[in-house]
Amino acid sequence: MGLRRDVDRYRDVGEERRQDLREFVQYGDLGDSLEDRIRIPIKVVDLPEFSYDEAAMGGIGKGDADVGQPVGEPAEGDAEGDEPGEEGGEHGYYEMDPEEFAEELDREFELDLEPKGKSVVEEKEGDLTDLVRSGPSSTLDFRRMFKRGLKRKIATEFDEDYLREALKVEGAGPQTVYEWARSQSINVSLHWLEAAYDEIPRGERGRYASFEDFMEDVERTTVAEAVRGMDHVPLRKEDERYRYPQVVEEKESKVVVVNIRDVSGSMGRRKRDLVERTFTPLDWYLTGKYEEAEFVYVAHDVDAWRVEREEFFGIQSGGGTRISSAYELVHDVLEEEYPYSDWNRYVFAAGDGENSSNDSSDNVVPLMKEMDVNLHAYVETQPSGGGVSSTHSQELEKAFGDSGDVAVVSVNSRDEVMDAVEEILRAASRSSDNREQEAAV
Amino acid sequence: MKGYLRRTPGTRADVHREASELEEVVEEARALAEKLGLQPYPVKYWVVDYDDVNEAVALGGFQERYPHWRWGMEYERQSKVDRYTPARIYELVVNDDPCHAYLQVTNDAAVQKAVITHVEAHADSFRNNDWFQRFTGGFDAAATLARHASTIESYCRRGDVDREEVERWIDTVISLEDNIDQYSALEDPADSGSDSEAEELRRQVEEMELSDEVRDEVFTEEWLERQDVDDDLESVPATPEKDLLGFLAEHGMAYDEDSGRAVEMEDWQRDIIRMLRREAYYFAPQKMTKVMNEGWAAYWESTMMAAEAFAEDDEFLDYADHQAKVLSSDGLNPYSLGKELWEYVENQANRREVTTKLLRVEGATPDNLHDKVALDEVEEKLEPRHPLSSLSSETLDDLEELPDGLVDHGNLQRARQGDVDADRHPWKLLTYEGLAERHYSLTRLQNKGFLRDVTASELEDRYRYMADVDVYASAGEALEDVDRTAGWRAMKDVRATHNDVTFIDEYLTEEFVDRHGYFAYEHSEATGQYHVSSRGFEDVKKKLLLHFTNFGKPTVKVHGSNYDNAGELLLVHHYNGVPLDLEEAEATLERVHRLWGRAINLKTVTRNVEESVMKMAKRRGKEPDTAEKGLMLRYDGSEHTWRELDEEEYEELLDPGLDYDTRPEDWLN
Repeated sequence: MGLRRDVDRYRDVGEERRQDLREFVQYGDLGDSLEDRIRIPIKVVDLPEFSYDEAAMGGIGKGDADVGQPVGEPAEGDAEGDEPGEEGGEHGYYEMDPEEFAEELDREFELDLEPKGKSVVEEKEGDLTDLVRSGPSSTLDFRRMFKRGLKRKIATEFDEDYLREALKVEGAGPQTVYEWARSQSINVSLHWLEAAYDEIPRGERGRYASFEDFMEDVERTTVAEAVRGMDHVPLRKEDERYRYPQVVEEKESKVVVVNIRDVSGSMGRRKRDLVERTFTPLDWYLTGKYEEAEFVYVAHDVDAWRVEREEFFGIQSGGGTRISSAYELVHDVLEEEYPYSDWNRYVFAAGDGENSSNDSSDNVVPLMKEMDVNLHAYVETQPSGGGVSSTHSQELEKAFGDSGDVAVVSVNSRDEVMDAVEEILRAASRSSDNREQEAAV
Repeated sequence: MKGYLRRTPGTRADVHREASELEEVVEEARALAEKLGLQPYPVKYWVVDYDDVNEAVALGGFQERYPHWRWGMEYERQSKVDRYTPARIYELVVNDDPCHAYLQVTNDAAVQKAVITHVEAHADSFRNNDWFQRFTGGFDAAATLARHASTIESYCRRGDVDREEVERWIDTVISLEDNIDQYSALEDPADSGSDSEAEELRRQVEEMELSDEVRDEVFTEEWLERQDVDDDLESVPATPEKDLLGFLAEHGMAYDEDSGRAVEMEDWQRDIIRMLRREAYYFAPQKMTKVMNEGWAAYWESTMMAAEAFAEDDEFLDYADHQAKVLSSDGLNPYSLGKELWEYVENQANRREVTTKLLRVEGATPDNLHDKVALDEVEEKLEPRHPLSSLSSETLDDLEELPDGLVDHGNLQRARQGDVDADRHPWKLLTYEGLAERHYSLTRLQNKGFLRDVTASELEDRYRYMADVDVYASAGEALEDVDRTAGWRAMKDVRATHNDVTFIDEYLTEEFVDRHGYFAYEHSEATGQYHVSSRGFEDVKKKLLLHFTNFGKPTVKVHGSNYDNAGELLLVHHYNGVPLDLEEAEATLERVHRLWGRAINLKTVTRNVEESVMKMAKRRGKEPDTAEKGLMLRYDGSEHTWRELDEEEYEELLDPGLDYDTRPEDWLN
């Protein structure tokens, strides 16, 4: 449909065509760009318009702050950031850090990849935890604060209706109800009971023969009811926690993730897109799992070379394909820079299954066997659905079968991305189990 | 708003199942909304998977839009947000009759319900707000936008027009899409399809078969162009014109790069300006009522979801979580600002009703009201009567005791027979008046003290114009007579006539700003940072108005079309204390030039700090003095020039009554 063409034209703007818009193109990050957050590159074409000088415009904030106090950069989503109400209502963005992302995936797939601590780090003094009480507001764990507030509210508010009724038990007075309530772990205040008792009309006292009868007859207000009755949840300063990297640790779990990609002529835009969609969540997951994560990006056609992430997903060369070139390079890089004694290693490769004849079986498989890694994966993308008979992935499956150290997946459309990610991460947590068993033996 | 991975793509079966499950929810939500006095347009809900939502978002909720890369950009951005962050579009509603709204198949039940209640309230303001009616009433949006799409597509396919040329033309027009006169009624620019008089003259000159010498001496191109100018544009516009797009659609010319001259626009070019201008007017009310509209939806969503138990017990925490996220983002948040303002409108109207009644108690005056009536106790007496706030199947009998008009006796009967579930849908047992009392604002916990805080001057103002006093023998009697629907009625009146600017202007009072703790901030030249400039409500209001007046953009009007007696366009920036981004302005002038064909001039005021002053200020950590200075920018098709204006040329722009700069005199010194 038309939108696909609009997307293609947008990607070309300021590049292959429409040089006149080049000066209005910005390559920025989606959302926040804090150090410990993931940056999502995005290209924005911002057409000029009559606008105010941004700094001179100032803005509105909320909270306790005295005149003169600095307020920091206006947050994203501030009035000048977003067009107010551009074409229909759309909103509700918030960001996620890799740790949350990993937790989410663990929950979703029921994974339990236990990161191994490898290199030993000296213990530092101090009592820092990963949540601290102050920090930049963007790292505030609001969800936690809200839930704490809610819990406190539920915990401190006592069930007045219920306790008032309890005072109507035959022979009960403030003191007896107080003791009974404590025994039932019901929030209560003696002072309140005394006041409430005086207000109970004489005729209603003694409505219940005993506490047992009372409990039989009267239901406590359920938590859900109590929550609903609340008009607001008290958010307290003391519940504020800011995410902070953990400082004290004996062993640090470090991971190096190698991304290999075939950049030969046959890897067109759709294939590249699928690779990016598959690799990115994997990278994040591992970033979230390990305390320290480093990435190595290797592009190859018949030769292999290292690149930066920014270039990695976009490169396209003209040449043919020789996958072993990449593994040779990766082998050397890992040995020199990321010794297996200190580093967890993941090697993910992607391509469309093409390789020069016999390269897979003669060269790639032996290299993969030789390397010490937590997991090898190969992501095959064939969005055109061509039925090539002898592909690289078939060679890998032949050589490794179900050994568990190698995950081979295929992604032919966007819908299959998450399945592929799941399969690879399952293999990753399986192989961490295997390793543990080996160690135990 | 659950995590990213809840989104396995919905299969057709999922979609169907979800749709039928939601049908009852939608029906109930509509019934509840109507019971609360809302009158929404019919809403058509679409249950869709995530990719459909991304597409819908990209196209502003519509199925078909004209071909342009901007939709592709929006789609790409939305897909990345969707793919890489847990953030999701949780509501997308299109203003049309009927409205269309999208529900993601993978949202959990609580979120679906929240979206539906939210959408119903939007559909109510689309239908009942005058600003929407002005540009969109009777406008078949989906059909019109689809027609624009196919017309523009057909231009792209024409043999004599290059697709890229059309795209470039659209870009040019889009740069000016906020330059319309959204505060006036929409008029179609007069059709100026006929040739200009200069063209006619040119033909006549050609027909006269003059010798080249004579032609070159007398009837030169310059002369011909001047004739055109003199005849056509001497008096255009009669008064400064804010609708720049409309003006250019009527009087604009294209620029021929080869000859460097203005030429008549092609039909398709003029047509595209008109269509995009029409679309800009259609989308304007949504931009003009953002705070009101989102606040309105948030208010009713929370009334329905939380206070009326539309969320089931097990959904409630999900809902609370969801709402907290929406309302808690940093900075200026139209949802929470709007919701707070609506609550303020409600409280204020309710307080007015109560205090007016109390002032009619025998012997009561503004001076003695606080002594005569303990306002704290009044709050207690205003508590909804039993069993309004504890409705359930247990309290059906008690309902019978209530005075007439509060109980929906038909539904009460049905509840007794078991046809209405009083525990799940307690609201069904009440009438509008009954619900108004059940949700009465002044007795809610967070509004405690609001009544007592009434100021002496508010009471004075009320009392001065009161005709009948001494009506009630006692405060109790007066309170019996309080109309509980006053708050909601006031809200509905405001919703019918206001836009964000008038809404904020009227309701952002000192009391409001003090209660909610807003402040204004400004940029400091000396520190390069933003600092709090004021906590005063006048300043906060000013800053908010700056952000919401005219889409938060500077006002630029056409003041003349024959500037310098050479057919040049004169634009004037109506300065309000905040200068233009000059770089953007220059780039925009290039766009205007393409639509005018001749040179463009822009008169503006800028704030200038001389370098030496700046250096000194930085060294001393003091804010430098800035001087306002008039500038005339000019673009003639090949280069930008500018000159400083003499004082008398721009002093009219320095309106002392209009200044959005909130920096105090001795700020940061």
